[in-house]
Amino acid sequence: MEMFQLDFMRIAFAMAVLIGLTAPVIGTFVVQRKMSLLGDGIGHIALTGIGLGLVTGSSPVLAALVVSVLGAVAIEALRARSRSGADVALAVLFYGGLAGGVVLTGREGGQVSLQSYLFGSISSVTATDLYIVAGLSAAVLLILAIFGRELFLLCQDEDLARAAGLPVRFLSVLIAATAAVTVVISMRAIGLLLVSALMIVPVAAAQQVARGFLGTMLTAMAAGVLSAVTGLAGSYEYDLAPGPSIVLLALAVFLAAVGTGTVLRRRRTASAAARDARAARRVDVRDVSMDAEPEVLGG
Amino acid sequence: MNDVPFAMTGGVVRREGRAVLDGVDLRVAAGDVVALLGPNGAGKSTLVKALLGLLPLAAGRTEIYGTPPAKFRDWRRVGYVPQRLPMGGGVPATVREVVASGRVARRSRWRPADRTEDRAAVDRALDAVGLADRARDSAHLLSGGQQQRVLIARALAGEPDAFVLDEPTAGVDAGSQTALAKVLAELVAGGRTVVLVAHELGPLAPLVTRTVRLEHGRVAAEETA
Repeated sequence: MEMFQLDFMRIAFAMAVLIGLTAPVIGTFVVQRKMSLLGDGIGHIALTGIGLGLVTGSSPVLAALVVSVLGAVAIEALRARSRSGADVALAVLFYGGLAGGVVLTGREGGQVSLQSYLFGSISSVTATDLYIVAGLSAAVLLILAIFGRELFLLCQDEDLARAAGLPVRFLSVLIAATAAVTVVISMRAIGLLLVSALMIVPVAAAQQVARGFLGTMLTAMAAGVLSAVTGLAGSYEYDLAPGPSIVLLALAVFLAAVGTGTVLRRRRTASAAARDARAARRVDVRDVSMDAEPEVLGG
Repeated sequence: MNDVPFAMTGGVVRREGRAVLDGVDLRVAAGDVVALLGPNGAGKSTLVKALLGLLPLAAGRTEIYGTPPAKFRDWRRVGYVPQRLPMGGGVPATVREVVASGRVARRSRWRPADRTEDRAAVDRALDAVGLADRARDSAHLLSGGQQQRVLIARALAGEPDAFVLDEPTAGVDAGSQTALAKVLAELVAGGRTVVLVAHELGPLAPLVTRTVRLEHGRVAAEETA
């Protein structure tokens, strides 16, 4: 294929694979923790980081990394402090981040660079960017490999995590900070306004068809890579914006998964019911005194 | 540190200004099987959560093996069975994944876990509740009674000394109640401590060594079997 002969496209495809793999992994934890919009908020805050980087003449990516990790820690601190007040405080943080970012980038880079950060420009990615993203992806995957079992329990239920002696506060910050790093990884390709989609939509698709947590995560990674790679190829072929094309493909995968999932669940429930009925018959033969009736009545 | 699993003196928990728990004294000795009874809203679930330090006390104090919950570190000694299987944001989890999460308190983060031992403990727990053949199924697609057994297996997998069960029999079919009674009988025979919340004891009655009846956040009656 001709697009693979272009250097910048080879870099772009490598980047798409990395993002497609990494974003859904942290996304699985974020969805289970009912914080699907976390990445979106961090994306808003990251824009201020980019603006600061441009104004001070330092690396926008590095500045975005620092500011969004700090933002993520602030979000967790607000959430922990109060459930009711946190909602408004978060909104304030998000809009402040977005407005601050637009003002700062407007001073320096002008509308072109703002556009590329908001909606991504994967074809302008350099080899250096790719190495940074590869390093950060490895860091995210390593963190999740080390803390995965604890994070699983935390995202399942905070009380259970506390009763297992887990450091709930630390782990919550860890999830938010890891999500922030993922936002920075993905922003060059997908853009800050859509970055969260690649964390959430593949997971939403995977949870329709998978039976377990690890299964959801692996399926979501496959869906993420599939939509990132085909979205990028399609955008090159038909001259479309890459970031939004990737997200639209992820949404198409999600719709297909909803259809498949409905059929799968029906089949699994039926086979489980059949197995339970067989088990109940076995019990009846062995122990006639065990009355299965309340189960039927209790529903 | 001492060997008394739970000791609360004058425990008060307030919610929106109202005392949901209003000066409760409760001492659970090692090997006790204590049933907390009482009508809805009497404070039973609040009490077990406060015993575990999941809800802060507005007054009084509580200790787990002689240490206040905030300073307690030996969580592997305690197994908590919540009222319902938590759903979170709807990401499915297999029965085995949920049960295996009961091993987390036993793990040291920096030392690789003994996987064979982990797996054997999870297998034993699944066998004990009769769900070994459902290990690969989605936990949230099981019936209510089966989900309750998954949660009990989760606590069993951690091999704790003391179990705290919040309404293990609520909405549970007869088959699961009998399975639960069987598991509890084995625990009691092994000298474990059990605190359980229940509306009515049913098949668990012969195992219970002490019942504590709560009303309006206070201990209304206590009876040793």
